[in-house]
Amino acid sequence: MDSAEETAVVESHQNSRHAELGLSDETVVEMYYRLVQARTVDEKMWTLHRQGKIHFIISCRGQEGIQIGSAFALRRGEDFVMPYYRDTGVALVLGMTPRDLMLSVFAREADPASGGRQMPGHFGYPRLRIITGSSPVATQLPQAAGVALASKIKGEAAVTAVYFGDGATSKGDWHEGLNFAGIHKLPVVFICENNGYAISVPQNKQMAIRDIADRAAGYGFPGIIVDGNDVLASYTVTKQAVQRALKGDGPTFIEAKTFRVAPHSSDDDDRRYRSREEVEEWKRRDPIERFKRYLEEVNLLDDSLDQRIREMVLEEVNEAVDFAEKSPLPSREDLMKYVYYNS
Amino acid sequence: MKQRSQASAQPRAVSLPLDKETLLHFLNKMILIRRVEEKVAEIYTRAKAGGFVHLNIGEEAAIVGAASSLADRDYLFTSYRDHGWALVKGVAPRAVMAELYGKATGCSKGRGGSMHLFDSKVRFMGGYAIVGGMIPIATGTALAVTYRGTDEVAMCVFGEGATNIGSFHEGLNVAKLWQLPVVFVCTNNLYGMGTAVRRASSVSEIYRKACAYDMVAERIDGMDVVATRDACLRAVERARKDHEPSLVELVTYRFRGHSMADPARYRTDDEVRWWRERDPISSLEQKMKDSGMLTQQEIDDIEAAVSRVVTESVQYAESSPAPGLDDLYKDVYVQSEGQ
Repeated sequence: MDSAEETAVVESHQNSRHAELGLSDETVVEMYYRLVQARTVDEKMWTLHRQGKIHFIISCRGQEGIQIGSAFALRRGEDFVMPYYRDTGVALVLGMTPRDLMLSVFAREADPASGGRQMPGHFGYPRLRIITGSSPVATQLPQAAGVALASKIKGEAAVTAVYFGDGATSKGDWHEGLNFAGIHKLPVVFICENNGYAISVPQNKQMAIRDIADRAAGYGFPGIIVDGNDVLASYTVTKQAVQRALKGDGPTFIEAKTFRVAPHSSDDDDRRYRSREEVEEWKRRDPIERFKRYLEEVNLLDDSLDQRIREMVLEEVNEAVDFAEKSPLPSREDLMKYVYYNS
Repeated sequence: MKQRSQASAQPRAVSLPLDKETLLHFLNKMILIRRVEEKVAEIYTRAKAGGFVHLNIGEEAAIVGAASSLADRDYLFTSYRDHGWALVKGVAPRAVMAELYGKATGCSKGRGGSMHLFDSKVRFMGGYAIVGGMIPIATGTALAVTYRGTDEVAMCVFGEGATNIGSFHEGLNVAKLWQLPVVFVCTNNLYGMGTAVRRASSVSEIYRKACAYDMVAERIDGMDVVATRDACLRAVERARKDHEPSLVELVTYRFRGHSMADPARYRTDDEVRWWRERDPISSLEQKMKDSGMLTQQEIDDIEAAVSRVVTESVQYAESSPAPGLDDLYKDVYVQSEGQ
């Protein structure tokens, strides 16, 4: 096995053409639409939280690049996807709607992830093969290996994409999940959104290595580093990983270097552990602004189209909030429902 | 990526850089382990010892080489295959035997049995029955050493099966992150119970896993007591002087099944024979004889002395009392005495 040598840095493709990647003009504009949509949903949720209408949120802000780019490389409804709590962008690309997400944060009965039972950010939609997560960090890793093993046993051409942050990679569950996927060459794409902080703990206080992708060598499969704020680069590495998995060549580990520009959650004050300069520096590398510049360069976006997209998204998100607010809460009689299967 | 790990698993040419006295000491300990374990197998089949028993037969070079690299003040943690490790760290053979018999005079007062030998006086911090469970505990002990500012080293021994357990990952990550004085020793005997290493671990060369922590790692022929001692001494010194943790992989083989209850049908006779031809005791004897350091008479003398120790330890265990009923609740909580 020579995976250590395969660990490679994929350069940003800021100037490469999306056509070379087989992406149509419509698709890249839709990518932009999804970026704006994810950001808008997030901003609206913060407002709702500050208004006291919802209780808790986890932000995707700053990490939309890897989320949108990687999710576009997955096959909606065919591949199994296990997002982590920050993956608003992934959920939206895969077919969850702003309504679905608002139903979840308002804990409404119609919430497709759990009927209002799960915490916000626990995305789930069985029909779309989005598998809802358990709250402890990294529990989705062994579960993903198990889902992929099921696909392999059934002979189903499905890939399992599992998302997590850098903090999860310090957990034992993570190690067990990657090892198992490596032994059995399972069709899994491991996507680490490395935003540099496990809540308040910076990466250099979590692990003695700089690149988490180095760890893939310990499991016998490639570890790829990608600029997670580059949508097309994120798309490219994920696409290659999906193809590798479908060919039966086994898992790939993707480390997307990114940053969350918001605090960890609505209950966190990140000023206590990060400098404002660091946050401002990363805001300048905003994945949405960067992709916008790309689309402008290739003449696919101008101010008027941008304006129209933003208005469309805002209208959709506002409508979703109204819809969710008016939806009924789970009924008292259903309290014990969904505790056990078939209960 | 940085690859500081280095492989040296190839059997080395005959080289005995150590003096006769040291080598005789190693040989003595290896024979002691072998004969104790043979006796344990006997008393177990005669239902004198309860619970499970996992024998060290075949792994004597790995045990003696690794454990002899520690100073008396250093801590040793092992898996449940712990009899030989306890003996080399300084637990008396009679206390080990009495523990297997479940007697009050056992090193764990008859509470532990085969898998939980323990003697804090010689800093043998125990066999642990949960696979990989002692890795964070040993790492925590190294953290305690760091807190106190003393210079002890914690050595943590586990099989290759344990390296697939989450606690291995968490322990090694923290050990390197906090630069703790700990030496992780993996006795890779190629089988996690009945599962061959290649079927349970995505990389079969365990030392390569250290790259995930940027930790120094070596792969050593664990059937060679001198090579093992050299590598472990290097690791212990790194830990003591530089607070630099290491992972040392000792490639070895258990000649018997996983436990006394395992007929080991998952290995071919040819494979077992191949390894038995590399018996660590007879190969050391041969090397020493070839270089004129050992006579058959000396071997016979060692065997006779060891035999007396084994017989005496069995008599001691047989004649020792069982723990008293009144002591049932003793040693459950720290404060229990006098309550």
